[in-house]
Amino acid sequence: MIGKVLGHCRVLAKIGEGGMGVVYRAHDEVLHRDVALKVVRNDARLDSTTSQSLLYEARASSSLSHPNICTIHEVGESDGDLYIVMELVEGKSLRAMSADAGLPPESVLRYGVQIASALARAHDRGIIHRDLKTANIVVTSDGLVKVLDFGLAKQVGSGIFEGSTRSFATLQDASSVSGTLPYMAPEILRGDPADYRTDLWALGVVLYEAASGRLPFEGRTGFEISSAIMRELPNPLGPPVPPGLWTIMQRCLAKEPIQRYQRASEVQAALEAVQSAAIVSTAPGPELNAPKTTMLHSVRHTHVKRGDFLLLVGTTKGAFILRSSAQRSRWEVGGPYFHGQNVYAMAYDGRGGQRRIWASTQSYWGTLLRSSDDFGKSWTNPQQAPIRFPSDTGVSLKNIWQIALGPPAEPNVLYCGAEPAALFKTCDAGETWSLVRGLFDHPHRPRWMPGNGGLALHTIVLDPADNQRMYVAISAGGVYRTIDGGHNWTAQNRGIRAMFMPDKYPEFGQCVHKIAMHPRRPERLFLQNHWGLYRSDDSAENWTDIANGVPSDFGFAMLMHPRNPDCVYIVPVESDEFRCACDGRLRVYRTRNGGASWEPLLRGLPQKRAYETVLRDAIAADSFDPVGIYFGTRSGQLLGSRDEGRTWQKILAGLPSVVCVRSAVVEDGSGGLGLTPSKAAQAPSSQAKSRSTSRSRRTRR
Amino acid sequence: MPVTFFIPGGLREFTDGHSTVEIEHSPATLAEALTVLWTLYPGVRDRIATEQGQVREHINIFIGDENVRYTGGLASLVAAGAEISIVPAVSGGGHP
Repeated sequence: MIGKVLGHCRVLAKIGEGGMGVVYRAHDEVLHRDVALKVVRNDARLDSTTSQSLLYEARASSSLSHPNICTIHEVGESDGDLYIVMELVEGKSLRAMSADAGLPPESVLRYGVQIASALARAHDRGIIHRDLKTANIVVTSDGLVKVLDFGLAKQVGSGIFEGSTRSFATLQDASSVSGTLPYMAPEILRGDPADYRTDLWALGVVLYEAASGRLPFEGRTGFEISSAIMRELPNPLGPPVPPGLWTIMQRCLAKEPIQRYQRASEVQAALEAVQSAAIVSTAPGPELNAPKTTMLHSVRHTHVKRGDFLLLVGTTKGAFILRSSAQRSRWEVGGPYFHGQNVYAMAYDGRGGQRRIWASTQSYWGTLLRSSDDFGKSWTNPQQAPIRFPSDTGVSLKNIWQIALGPPAEPNVLYCGAEPAALFKTCDAGETWSLVRGLFDHPHRPRWMPGNGGLALHTIVLDPADNQRMYVAISAGGVYRTIDGGHNWTAQNRGIRAMFMPDKYPEFGQCVHKIAMHPRRPERLFLQNHWGLYRSDDSAENWTDIANGVPSDFGFAMLMHPRNPDCVYIVPVESDEFRCACDGRLRVYRTRNGGASWEPLLRGLPQKRAYETVLRDAIAADSFDPVGIYFGTRSGQLLGSRDEGRTWQKILAGLPSVVCVRSAVVEDGSGGLGLTPSKAAQAPSSQAKSRSTSRSRRTRR
Repeated sequence: MPVTFFIPGGLREFTDGHSTVEIEHSPATLAEALTVLWTLYPGVRDRIATEQGQVREHINIFIGDENVRYTGGLASLVAAGAEISIVPAVSGGGHP
């Protein structure tokens, strides 16, 4: 072969040999560059169909242009010899580099990011590697990773016990049993076809091997290796491998593809996160755990006493606390708290005898969940953000859209809905929060799309009759339900339109703006969609359109009447392009028959040039009889009704844009009812009186 | 020579009120310098960096007069005696 010309490449020297063929250094006599030339082995000579398929695959792979992918320049046949001309990569294989005790974690992360990036590019182009292994990965002298032989493995199906491709940088024995099998995913051993996640399994094996020098699944025979892959868990890797890296490996090596990362870009992001966290993080010392408290001296405070009625108002420039008596005719205003910050979520927690106000704050310094036990005079200002995504997710918190109380019998349980869409839970009254993995790892998540306001989990609804059942709403992901306390989640969107999707009734992806449930009738839910009003009478199994006579079925806010399960309030806006009150007339609409008909409530509301918008959480009800309804607008008006919406009065004007309104009646500190049923309708389990429960709470400084 | 951090007003409640913090170590990179800073003052860390260790979108860090976004980010080199300024971007926030 030496000296022979294939295409326009003259063969110079043999540099490697693998299961598929022999690799030569060659010189491209047209472009005057050295290249690698792989000639398919004589004894692996393929029938013409397979040969054509290999050519096709190689040509497809040649379209991949990425700094971490070894470029295929040309494929062809010459005198019956099938050959592939590739970029000549000189370096060491990752296999050789990690052969002894593995590489330092920093190197594993650095190389892993590049390998994942290469896979992400290939997967985007619909190309699966199918034979990723450390022997197929070369690291050049300046630390650049090159992944070899993309897409070439598929057509060479002569046997899983042979190394189907070989790097020319490693001179492995082609007949070695250890060739490819240790990198094979369980589904391949079962005979299922390969997909992108098959490569992600192999990436997990590669990372494990690079970090430890060992394969995660070993055996003396092919049968033993296969058995280990199918049934066993890899031995855990401890220090110096950082826990985040080990977590990533475990997720890549999940036996079921659906439990793995779903995209190479997710692995890349997770590796980058561990990489950068390793750079800039320090282990939290004891001091870090002590929350700081900020005393707000220059802010006007309200003087709250037992029996007072409160409105909590979150705006894009801070929070306000309004105090009134049960008459709700005169208001004392406290605030603004958190000058200039977005306050998208607030809640009042009167469970277990506490009187705690919760607020989420967002600014360029990040997003924090904070609380006050003295009606705003002092707020926690934790040194470490209490709600944070784990490092293996590669995701950072942007905002907290919802704070929901857990069941009354569990006063230390709360939930937060986050952006990017995720659910967090605390079981110790906010001391520690954890990501609800069952939802975050849902296979739909990579295909959720951000709505206009971002990709947010903005609504959390607990079933008061069943503490294992819970609903969340995501824009734009749709409604998801768990019936096992958050471990598993199902999309519950049957009958809900998605106007912006090719399939108007997809399984998920709807831009749901709000859902509401009445605690007395938990199987019934109402839903305000991005176009569409719906009701479900079967725990969100099916949804029925109830936009009967409203001027627009577009809107954000939706509120249950605290006592009447047939009564719902909405504030329609004109369209998604013109998100203002229809015709410049600010009208609340109410149904008292479960959506069969709607009536406008407008007495006292501006009906000329009132281009107002009421956002999804900017409406609340109280627990009095008749019920009071309160809402805020983007233009900073706060309006209220003491007669269930029949007449309205202006409470306050000139506020920043209102994004959140919540109400509360302040009971004594011995376990009284703190949260009004209006809020209870959205976090229904908090309606009932709580038992006094001893709680741990860190000492504030 | 020590490296000096200039602390903006919004973070001083986490640096015991100090507007400047000098660190005696000789950090080679910004990442190392920051690590020292938030070992001293842990509350600063989450204000400047995301939980994934990236400098927050609307926070700028200058070494001398150079914005580190253009000099290698966290890997930017820190010379002895350097002055490091932490500055919220004027464009911060999504609302007017």
